Formats: sequence, C-alpha cells, structure tokens
Amino acid sequence: MSRRALWVLLGLIVVVALVLGTRSGEARSTDERVQAIGRGVRCPTCAGQSVSTSDAPAAKAIRSQIRADVEAGRSDDTIRARLTASYGDDVLLNPPRSGFAGLVWIVPVAAVVVAFGGLALAFRRWERAAPAGPSRRDRALVAAALGQDPDDSHGEGSGR
Amino acid sequence: MTAAEPDVDDVDAGDDADSAPRPAPRGRVAALITVPIALVLVVFVVILATRDPASDREVESPLLGQLAPRIEGTNVLTGRPFDSATFDRRWLLVNFFATWCVPCVQEHPELVAFQRGQAEAGEANVVSVVFDDQPDAVERFFARNGGDWPVVLTDDTVVAQWGVAGVPESYLVDPGGIVRAKLVGGVTAAGLDRLVAQAEGAIAPDAGAPDTGGGG
Amino acid sequence: MNAALGTAGVALALAASIGGVLTVVVAQSRRRPLLLRQVPSFVALAVLGAVMAVVAMQRALITRDFSVEFVADNGSRATALPFTISTMWSALEGSILLWGLVLVGYLAAVTWKFRSRLTDPLVAWALLAMFVVTAFFFGLMAGPANPFRTVADPPADGPGPNPLLQDNLLMAFHPPMLYLGYVGFTVPFAFAIGALVTGRAGEGWLVETRRWTLFAWGFLTVGIVLGAWWSYEVLGWGGYWAWDPVENASLLPWLTGTAYLHSVMIQERRGMLRVWNLSLLCATFALTILGTFLTRSGVLDSVHAFTESAIGPIVLGFFALIVVVTLGLIGWRGDTLRAPGRIDSPLSREGAFLANNVLFAGFAFVVLFGTVFPLLAEALNDRRVSVGVPYFNRMAGPIGLMLLFLMAVAPALPWRKASTETLSQRLLWPAWFGTGTVVACVVAGVRGLVPLVAFGMGAFAAAAAVRQVVLATRRSGWRGLVGRTNGGMIVHLGVVLIAVGLAASGSFAEQTEARLGPGESRTVHGHEVAFASFTESDRDPTRTIREADMRVDGTTLAPRLQRFPNGSQEVGKPAVRYGVGDTVYLALLEGPRADGTILVRIIVQPLVAWLWAGGLVMLVGTALSAFPGRRRRGTEPTSAPSDWSRAPSARVTGTDADADSDETDRPEREPVGAP
Repeated sequence: MSRRALWVLLGLIVVVALVLGTRSGEARSTDERVQAIGRGVRCPTCAGQSVSTSDAPAAKAIRSQIRADVEAGRSDDTIRARLTASYGDDVLLNPPRSGFAGLVWIVPVAAVVVAFGGLALAFRRWERAAPAGPSRRDRALVAAALGQDPDDSHGEGSGR
Repeated sequence: MTAAEPDVDDVDAGDDADSAPRPAPRGRVAALITVPIALVLVVFVVILATRDPASDREVESPLLGQLAPRIEGTNVLTGRPFDSATFDRRWLLVNFFATWCVPCVQEHPELVAFQRGQAEAGEANVVSVVFDDQPDAVERFFARNGGDWPVVLTDDTVVAQWGVAGVPESYLVDPGGIVRAKLVGGVTAAGLDRLVAQAEGAIAPDAGAPDTGGGG
Repeated sequence: MNAALGTAGVALALAASIGGVLTVVVAQSRRRPLLLRQVPSFVALAVLGAVMAVVAMQRALITRDFSVEFVADNGSRATALPFTISTMWSALEGSILLWGLVLVGYLAAVTWKFRSRLTDPLVAWALLAMFVVTAFFFGLMAGPANPFRTVADPPADGPGPNPLLQDNLLMAFHPPMLYLGYVGFTVPFAFAIGALVTGRAGEGWLVETRRWTLFAWGFLTVGIVLGAWWSYEVLGWGGYWAWDPVENASLLPWLTGTAYLHSVMIQERRGMLRVWNLSLLCATFALTILGTFLTRSGVLDSVHAFTESAIGPIVLGFFALIVVVTLGLIGWRGDTLRAPGRIDSPLSREGAFLANNVLFAGFAFVVLFGTVFPLLAEALNDRRVSVGVPYFNRMAGPIGLMLLFLMAVAPALPWRKASTETLSQRLLWPAWFGTGTVVACVVAGVRGLVPLVAFGMGAFAAAAAVRQVVLATRRSGWRGLVGRTNGGMIVHLGVVLIAVGLAASGSFAEQTEARLGPGESRTVHGHEVAFASFTESDRDPTRTIREADMRVDGTTLAPRLQRFPNGSQEVGKPAVRYGVGDTVYLALLEGPRADGTILVRIIVQPLVAWLWAGGLVMLVGTALSAFPGRRRRGTEPTSAPSDWSRAPSARVTGTDADADSDETDRPEREPVGAP
C-alpha cells in the first residue's frame, strides 16, 4: 500500500472512531446533572471555588436548590437563571456570552486569530522576498555543523 | 571561533547586516508597536490601582424590588409549622443566622431590642432563619439570649433562594412582600429603625409600587 | 534580639543593593569600569544581610520568640518543627523574605559566574537590573512588609499557620521551588535589559542566559506541579487546579517562559526574532511581579490570598516601572536590533516554533485576561462578572490540543523547509500509534470528543518524542538522552503524561457523598468502599485526630478530621489511594452522628497519578536538557552532526537519522554555499 493510501486510511479510521466515540449512550443521572451545573456556579463565600467543590454551608444550600430544581424537571438554563435571580449574575463562573462580558470570550480568540493572520502575512512576505544567498552566518553554521569548530557548534559564539 | 562569530564583546548586530539581502530594517516600527502596548498597559495599571480590595465591596442583591421568596418550615421554638405566605402583613426583617457565627451572637441583643421597640410601635416583625445549624443548639441559644420571634428551620433551598452567602445576613421586606434592603454582617437596633423609617418614606408616596430604593 | 538581628540583616542587604546600584551607575556613567570590581563586595554584603535576616526569622520561629509580630501572628508552640520552618513562607512578610533570599542567591551566582567579566558593559547592566530588583524587595521588607516588626506585649502563644498549611510536607517544598523558578527569571530579564541597553542583542547574551532560563523554568514547573499535588492531597475536593488567581499567577510566567525556550532556538539558529525574545523575557519577569500584585494586594478573591497588606500599590508601581523601562528600551532600540532574515516555509521547524509562540502567547493572554476581567468589567462597565473554571477550561482546551498536535509534528520537521514526503515518512508510525490509541479507547468504552482527541494527540506526540529519542540514542548511545533537543523530548513526554492525566481525570471523575454506618459499604465505579470503624486520638501533641478506618477494595485508607490546638475549625485530611489507572479519594465530611454514621465524599478519578509522574518526567527531562555541563560538545542534534568525534560513518548510514541533524536536512535545503 502506498504511503498516501495509508494516510487516507488513517484519516478514515480516526473519523469513524471519533464519531462512534462521541455518541453518548446513557442519559445523565440526577447526581451527574447536579454536579455538572454546580461546577459552573460560584460558591458565594469561598473565593473562586465552585459549589460542587466546596463544603461551605452556602454551597451546600445551592447544591440542594439545584438538586430540587433538577428533580422538579427544570432545564439547566432555567436552573441557572433562578440562581442568578437570587445571587446575581456573577454567581455563574461562566461569564455571559453577550454584552460587555462577551468580550472575555471574543477578545482572546480574536487576538489569536489576528496573530495567526499576521504570521500568515509574514510568511507571504518572506515568500515574495528574493531568496537570500548564503550569508556569512549560514556558512558559519554549515561550517560549525560539519564539525570544524566543535566548541562553537551553535554558531552563537562561545565568547569566553 | 569562526570569522562570522564575533566575540560577545563586539556589537554583533552589524554582522548580519552585511550578509543580508537587504539592509537591516530601520525606522519607527518598534515605537509604533510599543506605544499602543504602553497605552493599554497604562490603562490597565490605572484600573488595577483604583480597585478597592475585594472584601470592601458592598453586595447588592438582585432581590431588591422583587417579591420575597417564600419561607416554609418549622418554628424551632414552638414546634409549629411556619409559612411566610400566611404571616402577619407588616414590615418583616428576615434574619439568617447560626449559633456558631460570632457576629450573629454579637448582633442578637440588637435584634432583641429592635423587635421589642417595633412590637410596641406595631410596625415590624422579626423572623430568623436557621442557617446550617442544629435545632437543639438554636433552642439553647434563644433560651439563653432571649428573643421570642419565629425561628424557622427550613430546607436549605430557602437559603439559596434568598441568595444568602454567609451569616449574618438580613433582609427588610415591606408589607407588600417586596424585598427593600439587604444587610450583610451585624445589625444594630438603631440602624434598623432608621432603615424601616427610610424605606417607609421611600414607598409611601406610591404605596407598594416596586421601587428599588432602600439599599443597605 | 531576633528582631534586631533581622532588621539589621534587612537593612544591610538593602544598603548593599543600593550601594551596588550606585556603583554600577557611577561606573557606567563616569566611564570608570574599574569601580565594577567592587561589585562582588556589595553582593557579599547583600548575601550576608539576607542570610542574617533568614537566620533571625528561623531562630525566632524555632525558639518561639513571640515578641516578633510575624511569629506572634503565624507561629505557635504546638506546631511541629518542619512546619515551624515552613511557617516563614506561610504569610506575606516571610514569603517576601524567602523571595529576597532566593534573589540574592541568584545575584551571587551570577556574580560568581561572570566574575572575570564584571567590566563588560552587558554584565554590568545586568547586575544593575538585579541590584534594583533586590533593592526593591529588601525595600519592601524595610518598609510595609517588615517581617521583624515587634509587639510590645508578646503573647504566650500564637495561632500557628493556617491548618491547611500544616498538613502535608509538600507545603514545605512547594513555595521554595516556585520561588526558585519565579525569582530565577530575574536573571535572563536582567541580561535582556543589559542587551537592550548596550545594543548587543545578538546571540552572545543568549548563551549567557539560556541555562539560567532553563533552570528557572524547571523549578517553576516543579513548583506548579507540587502546588497542584498539594491542593489535591489537602483541600479535600478532589481537584488539583482551580484556575485560581494565585495558580494563574504562577502559570503566566511559565507560559511565556515556555514560549521563550522554543523561540530562542530560532534566534540561535537563524538570528531572527531578537526583539521578540527580549520582549518575552521582559514579559515573563513583569508577569511574576504582576502576579505578586494580583495575589498579594487583595484586589482579587483567591483561596490563597494572604491577608491584605499595604504592599499592593508599591508592587503595582514597580510593575509599572518595569513596563515603562522595558517598553521604552524596546521602543528605543527595537528597530536597530531587528535582524533581517526570512523563514522559508511555514512547514519547517521555525514555522512550528512560531505557531508554538502564537499559541503560548495566546494562552498567556487568555489566562491573564480571564483573571483580571472581573476587575475590568467592574471598572469599565460597572457590572460584576465571575470568570471561573468553565471559562478557562473551554479556552485552554483547544489551545492545549493544538499544542499537543504541534508537539507531535514539530520534532519531525527539519529546519528551513520540509517536503511533505519526508514529513509523511517520519510521522507515519507516530500517527498510527495515535490512531490506534483512539480506536483502542473507543473499543474500551471511552466516550467524549475532547478526551478521545486528547488521548489520540497525546499518543501521537509521545510516539513522535520517543522516535526522536530512539533515533538519537541509536546514533550516539547515552548521549542521545542528553542535550537540549533530546532532553526536550523527555520533557515533551512528561507534558503528554500530564495532558492525558488532565483530560482523563477531568472528564471521567465519578463523585458521590455517602452516609455510611460501621460495616456498610458503597461501590463507586467498581471500587468497593467500606467503613470499618472510627477512632479518635490525641497521641499527636500537635493535633487532635478523628479518623475513619475505611477499606477500599480491601486496603485500608484513613481520611481524617483534624483539629489544631489553636484553630477553632476542624480541618479534613483526605486519604488517597493512587493507582496506575483509577485513583480513589476519600474525604471525611462529618464525623459519626448519634447513629454512628459518617458522611464521606468518595471520588474515583482515572489517571491522576499520571499528573505527578508527568511532573517528575518533566523535571528529569529539564535536567537532561541542561546536562552537557560546561564542556558543550556537538552532541545536540539541533546543532551538529550526530557524532562528529566518534563515528563519522554515522552520518552516512543515518538515513532515517534524527530530523534535527543536518544531514537529513540537507537534501531539502536550498543549495547552500560550500564552507
């Protein structure tokens, strides 16, 4: 089999495996849902911990509230909305995606995209620039690489 | 040492320039990049410098101006059921407390004084809600420290519905069942009296209309 | 007596560092280089002062000298000796003292290393920068963060350190390691300043600082992993990383430092990215100071925050000073320092390093922005928001997966330009290994996109790293394990272990709270947890222990509740049984009620042990990277043919040789001039 075919085969296998692997079978239990929602809710008295990980009384109370709501058949979003109605928006550890707080999601992604865009531009510019002939540094590198000066193999000058 | 590798004592920037296809870039690129970064960082530092410490920030409750969540449970002192929906339609001070909490112990005499004063004026009632505590400890606490208003043992979901973070926290609810003020930390009888008077004044003109006045 | 000795030590170190600053300034501005020969005496005095202060503090702690306020606030008669020693860094003033000690240690090491070149302007400016930083920290101790304040009326006993800090010996090691890393970045920063001031931003200063950076980075890595380990063993909620501001503050310099360790190779090899590399080092150092501000000033809520103190504004001012100076220098010098050059192809080692830098810088930006965003939102929008674990996980996840992918591909990429041919040949079996892992996981019942992709990428990256190491050792024997590139591959293996551990333990934790009576048991994820009996003892004079005797699959685990004599609160101490696969974690939440039942939190998490193992592997890899001591020979494949001295024939036979080595690169290079 050619190498190319091996890569195509590999791609196929990965896709099939991932598709099979992401089909979640069982529905989530109440415990799991309470845990999952609780991980996104800030424990109001304990700086930075979620109610799922805290044993502070307020965290326990919020867990009971989430459990009661889950058992009452409310949706995750409704449960979260009910909590923000009593504790305020900042009880959710996941900042909202709209409004000013949405910036926390957008700005870093935009920054990374812009940085990669800049990199792509730089590569295009480099590509258009005439290929450089071997510079003295290149020669030195080659010379060093060929072992002429083992003490200066990095071509950076030992300087001592 | 090869010829191309200057001693570190030399300025070696020139070394690259002579072998480069084009001259080393000169100009104001660095300034153009650093100045905006510097400006952003200046704003950043100013913001950081003007922040208050986290602990000093006053908590505002989203419940202000909203209908107070219902409190259902058992009155620890009498053993009878309690339901805020059927409770006396007067101003209500809902106080979340625990016997293990030092500021709660400290504020208790103030609550007793406030309740005694208001009971005479007939203006306000006090209801205490037990926060993460045992009923027998609460009973002993009230026997020792006085106070004969309803002390309610509820499901702890009530704590979450009121948005209580820690104890003591107190909420002032108007006769229409609207939350008017939230107080974090210990209270004083005088302060509570003033608050009730203020809140009454604030809602008197348009009796009962939800308005968000009366912050703690 | 202790207070006087300590105050004298702080004053001496402060005076010596100011003296050092003045000496260097005068020598440089008046062109009197011979003055620089006085620098070692100032360094010696600073070391003496710092050691005096630390000895005084330790003596005060150990002899329980409660007339020193720090000891009165943080010490106690009942604390065991190791924790008495570590009490020094359990609160703000003492931790600054530790910072100062580590800093003068680095100062002395730099001075010793460059003792014969003190008159070199680059070294002189670097020493000036270090003296300024030293003066700042001892200035803090002489002023608002004075560890040797006295109390007029010494109490008979103190409260002792926070109970959580007396639980585990890891706490004795985690902060010093972290500080060795944090403070260590002062050295490359100082040389970066020297390079900027003197305009010698060529490759010379890199050689000077590369190993220092690696050293600092290694300690920071160990410090972070130990911190995570400590959280896991002590805090009782079964987590090791909460994206808490303090944790983020330690991660930030690690991220920019990691970016630097990669991009510096482009500079060494191609002479490019000089200004970028200098900026990364300056940013790394500035972030250590910013982290100190964020976590010590009380502006952010944090589990770790020390009590508020007055040092906030001063540290922020120092941060502003660093920013102004470094940005000013870069703006002034930047254009003359830029080296011309081009990178031939994105599909090359350079291209991979650039992508790596974008990702690491982006990662650092995410962490910084998320950490300070609540403050920004409040200042600019008057709204309160929380930015917590779910945000950071969602943002860091994709970046982490992309980094894993780069880690798999980059080692197979040659410098300058790769042909798809070569790449396909070199990556084929690592890619198949990754694929096989995904398939095996799916067959074994693992579900979920993120963990599956993480496992697959991890296996791919691990196979790529192993391939490099195997090729290198086949070529050069044991030397194939040392040197930067090969050691770097070992570090990569450690990172893969940690990444896989994070993905698995984060995605597949099973947690429950069980109320058990004696003899009862609960099965969680196939592990039977039984409660046998409950004991209470005060055999340990430093604490009262209430212990549940539990059996996990037959072996004994004993989670505890402990009360320290001076603490009012009872503090849990979880018990953990690590396995290659599942880790069983028991945290006692409530002692026995009247009916004899206890409440215990049971967490079963896969692959937690891999995190700690990964940290160890990273440490070993870092040490191997730094290994070829002072006699650096051409053993590093990045820089030289595999084995120039011993087996020239290897060059001919090495057809599948290390991608780093020049002979495999050569066919793909554009023709270069013969030497």
